[in-house]
Amino acid sequence: MKTDGSDDRDQKKSLQERIKNLEEEIKPPEKKDSPISQASMGWRMVVDLVVGVGLGFIIGYGLDILFDTKPLNMVIFTLLGFGAGINLMLRTAKEMRDK
Amino acid sequence: MATDTEAEKSLEIHPMDQFLIKPVLGDGPLMWYSFSNTAMWMGITLLGIIIFLIVGTRNRAYVPDRFQMVVELIYGFVRNMVQDVAGRDALPYFPYIMTAFMFVIFSNVLGLIPMSFTPTSHIAVTATLALVVFISVTVIGFVKHGLGFLGLFWISSAPLPLRPVLAVIEIMSYFVRPISHSIRLAGNMMAGHAMIKVFAAFAGVMGIGSFVPIIAISAVYGLELLVAFIQAYVFTILTCVYLKDALHPQH
Repeated sequence: MKTDGSDDRDQKKSLQERIKNLEEEIKPPEKKDSPISQASMGWRMVVDLVVGVGLGFIIGYGLDILFDTKPLNMVIFTLLGFGAGINLMLRTAKEMRDK
Repeated sequence: MATDTEAEKSLEIHPMDQFLIKPVLGDGPLMWYSFSNTAMWMGITLLGIIIFLIVGTRNRAYVPDRFQMVVELIYGFVRNMVQDVAGRDALPYFPYIMTAFMFVIFSNVLGLIPMSFTPTSHIAVTATLALVVFISVTVIGFVKHGLGFLGLFWISSAPLPLRPVLAVIEIMSYFVRPISHSIRLAGNMMAGHAMIKVFAAFAGVMGIGSFVPIIAISAVYGLELLVAFIQAYVFTILTCVYLKDALHPQH
């Protein structure tokens, strides 16, 4: 009984190894990034950056109107929006690297 | 030379007229209940999708014919994309992503038919699509992780004094995403169509030399076909990326 069990396990293990080897054999080759997808990534970064600055400006401008502190919030939030754009850009870059 | 100056006088370019929303049934002002050209083309888009998908799979053959092959190819393409980008646990949301992809790609491509109208060239349409994604992703994040979802904005790997500033930046990034998500699609579609219109206006006044802009239009048309597919792809893959953030908020 006991020997049977270990035999089974051995068989299973070798089978698993074989499956693993075969899987590696038939694995499709790594997909290379086409220039098109790289262009769309670049386009994505640009839009994120511009929208970030724009959104920051709008938020700052609105807060300025609310609190009557004309240029202060505008400057701060435009810079923060720029930061947000850079942040998204870096995230896209990380995605590109991880792929 | 003389004809050139004459031509320039009569050169009138209205590249944005094609994006005007007007009622197609009856005249009069555009009301909320009017059946506008954008509504009509969205309907045609839906009809196209239904015909494409249902007729394509009507035989449910084990050995697919060409039509069924295309449908299955698209299905597999989107499904793999969801699985690769957002992970296996994103598959329950695959139907919505597939629907959005089909809608965007069909309205992009149908909009390239001369005299047609492109609903996705309007920010109102793409912003609605992006807002649906934004709101549902936020809701999914909060439902799955509770308040822990807010950890997405709190970078624990940064030094403590920096974290509030980074949190503000992260929150702004979160709100930038739906805007850029919608502007990208609408901007791309609008720019290409406007460009074709400008070239067409040149062709109208250049007389014998008009073959130059006509060749340019053909080239831009090819590019636009490419852009129509790429933008649908980008829109969908970004939906998956945002969904991934909601399902796995840790960085």
